[in-house]
Amino acid sequence: MASCAIHGGCPSDYAVVGFAAASFVLLCIRASYPFLYCKGPRTRTNDLWIVVVQIFGSFNLVLGFVMSLNYFNVNKRHPWQSCYIWGVWLGGALGFGLLISFRIVQVYQLYYLFVKRRLPSIKSNVLIPLILLPWMGGATAISITKPLNANCHIHWQWIAPVVCFIMLYISALIWLAYAIRHIEFRFQELKDLLRGIIISATATGVWIIAYVLIEVQEYNSWVQVISRFLLLFTVGILVLAFFSMSISQPLLSQMSLSGRRSVGYLTMGEALGIREGDSSQKASHSDVDFNEPLDRLLLDDNFRRSFMAYADSCLAGEGVHFYDEVLELGKIRVDDPAKRIYMARHIIERYINSGTEMEVNISHRTRQEILTCEDLTSPHLFDHAVVELLQLLKANLFKDYWSSVFFMKLKAEQCKEPDGQGSLDHLRHPESSSFSWQW
Amino acid sequence: MGCLCSKQKPVRTSDAEENAKAAEIEKRIAQEATAEKHIQKVLLLGAGESGKSTIFKQIRLLFQTGFDEAELRSYIPVIHANVFQTIKILYDGAKEFAQNETDSLKYVVSLENKETLSRGNLIQVPDCAQYFMKSLRRVSDANYVPTKEDVLYARIRTTGVAEIQFRRASFLFQPRGREQEERGVYKLFDAGGQRNERRKWIHLFEGYDQALFEDETKNRMMETKALFDWVLKQPCFEKTSFMLFLNKFDIFEEKALKVPLSVCEWFKDYQPVSSGKQEVEHAYEFVKKKFEELYFQSSGPERVDRVFKIYRTTALDQKLIKKTIKLVDETLRRRNLLEAGLL
Repeated sequence: MASCAIHGGCPSDYAVVGFAAASFVLLCIRASYPFLYCKGPRTRTNDLWIVVVQIFGSFNLVLGFVMSLNYFNVNKRHPWQSCYIWGVWLGGALGFGLLISFRIVQVYQLYYLFVKRRLPSIKSNVLIPLILLPWMGGATAISITKPLNANCHIHWQWIAPVVCFIMLYISALIWLAYAIRHIEFRFQELKDLLRGIIISATATGVWIIAYVLIEVQEYNSWVQVISRFLLLFTVGILVLAFFSMSISQPLLSQMSLSGRRSVGYLTMGEALGIREGDSSQKASHSDVDFNEPLDRLLLDDNFRRSFMAYADSCLAGEGVHFYDEVLELGKIRVDDPAKRIYMARHIIERYINSGTEMEVNISHRTRQEILTCEDLTSPHLFDHAVVELLQLLKANLFKDYWSSVFFMKLKAEQCKEPDGQGSLDHLRHPESSSFSWQW
Repeated sequence: MGCLCSKQKPVRTSDAEENAKAAEIEKRIAQEATAEKHIQKVLLLGAGESGKSTIFKQIRLLFQTGFDEAELRSYIPVIHANVFQTIKILYDGAKEFAQNETDSLKYVVSLENKETLSRGNLIQVPDCAQYFMKSLRRVSDANYVPTKEDVLYARIRTTGVAEIQFRRASFLFQPRGREQEERGVYKLFDAGGQRNERRKWIHLFEGYDQALFEDETKNRMMETKALFDWVLKQPCFEKTSFMLFLNKFDIFEEKALKVPLSVCEWFKDYQPVSSGKQEVEHAYEFVKKKFEELYFQSSGPERVDRVFKIYRTTALDQKLIKKTIKLVDETLRRRNLLEAGLL
């Protein structure tokens, strides 16, 4: 017992390593479940990158602790078994440091979106390395000054600065959480954040206590074993509880293992609980005049669905889908800024950002206007884009739609309606000369 | 697909009729599949505003029924929108130029004052600007009906994919039977050229024979070079013939005399030799050579059999396009005969 308490390899060590490994596997399942089993649009690179970074950081944290604290009693002869590589760099900077930096970036994005109501000016792939830089600097300083002993325990003098450094990052999280506390989030972002803060603060506290006990009770085998057990046990809990998708992909957070809703495809409108429209919006068939301009016709649900299907068949459907979602945005009350921001952000990520699957064909100027807008809640955010796309749809698709199968099907469906009085009269093929174009 | 009765059941008259109908349907499907194989599918690919849709319209004018009056009238809003867009760009450009000069009245936008328009290359004025601004009074008339030339000049950004089928009379062979007649049938696809539209090209790539690749000798040259390189390397185009149209030659003729070719990074090793028409020809040959080099660099040994030809075009010139399509057609027929072992 005395031997394994100091050099590792006790049964409790193996048990806790098993627990940490199981936690990591569970984390991987939880993170990948929405992508593997959920129906819906194809996964974007952004969503995968969020998962990959968190899994990478968690893996480093677990492995760093296991190797540096020598749970398996491996003789440390080789340079690659150095404490500094496993404990400081892998477990510290690229493990815990990466996870907490990533979470700070996520909350910063939330702050920018919901408090400043703008898209973040600095991209996350630039911000994460910036916030991680102090961790790299700290790891470099420790590697140079070499304050770790043979058992990878840090010298007394270093505990206070290290703890203060970690608390600085946790304080940043607390400050950002305070700044966004009044926002009515829809997808439990604040709850996730508070959980992350509590877990990371608790884990830090447990690590400090465990390290102190290991140092103070150096010759007490039970204290050594229990402290080592607690260290890795806390890591296992932390990697599971710290994981969050909600900030960057609300829909996937709904579908996560711990979600309340059943797995299935949701539109953002459905996820936000935007109703399809009241009865006056579903205009009665006799109200629809097919000589109306396209933007009026698209307000009718049946026509819009039919035209969308036609546009999809011509590989030009993204414009109609965009229009559809902008209509949904228009249904959100102006005094509900959080919902408007969710919807606006979703539309931007899906239709406006360059390289997305459903990127719409708008001018660079209009695209930049949206991406640099001062207020995401503005009711006129997408006006210019809508005008451009309507022109595009009118010029490319509108004329040929009337002779398409989709219009025939729409006509046939209208004829089947119980209230068929006069329903055929307004479904005549409109003369092209009587089209009115509205600019 | 047709269905077959079970062998155990006795064959009744109605079953025999059904079988005959099913056989007839299958025969027609097979015939159409055979006919489909002989249809030459052509994709128009290129960067945005390179002239793909103009070629598309020219094909419609040359080999289909062209545009009837209703269709010509349907272009009125498009032409008016092009004019409004031009005026807006000129207005914004004039403001910008006036800020940097003492004589701000120099850039007042009017029908007579062409000062801003003459600096159109700095403010991204569309190519049709000069043409419509010259005809402003005509297009704004209450009874205006666009001409075919107006329709060719009208600028509409393409979204999605449009297709037409046309038949081209053969000059090499007289039509002797249905099979040879079908060989003159083309299906032409026009897709958008902006970046978001290019991801849709993949839907067109499977099973296509030729790609008419347009290019423009303008500022987007580097993008076009990358695009051409990318298309050449697509596995599905391993055996596809490429007809490269170096389009907008009329604009190139004007620009080559004013702006040295070496301003473009790809052509930085260009050395002018003379002036006037000779210089234009020299510049064109240089650009052509660059594309040929790129083609051979990007084509591996397994792609040596595919045809590659370069044509100088001005998509707005109907005679030139007709002549070019004739040359393209002859090239393709020769290739088909080679493949069939008849040459």
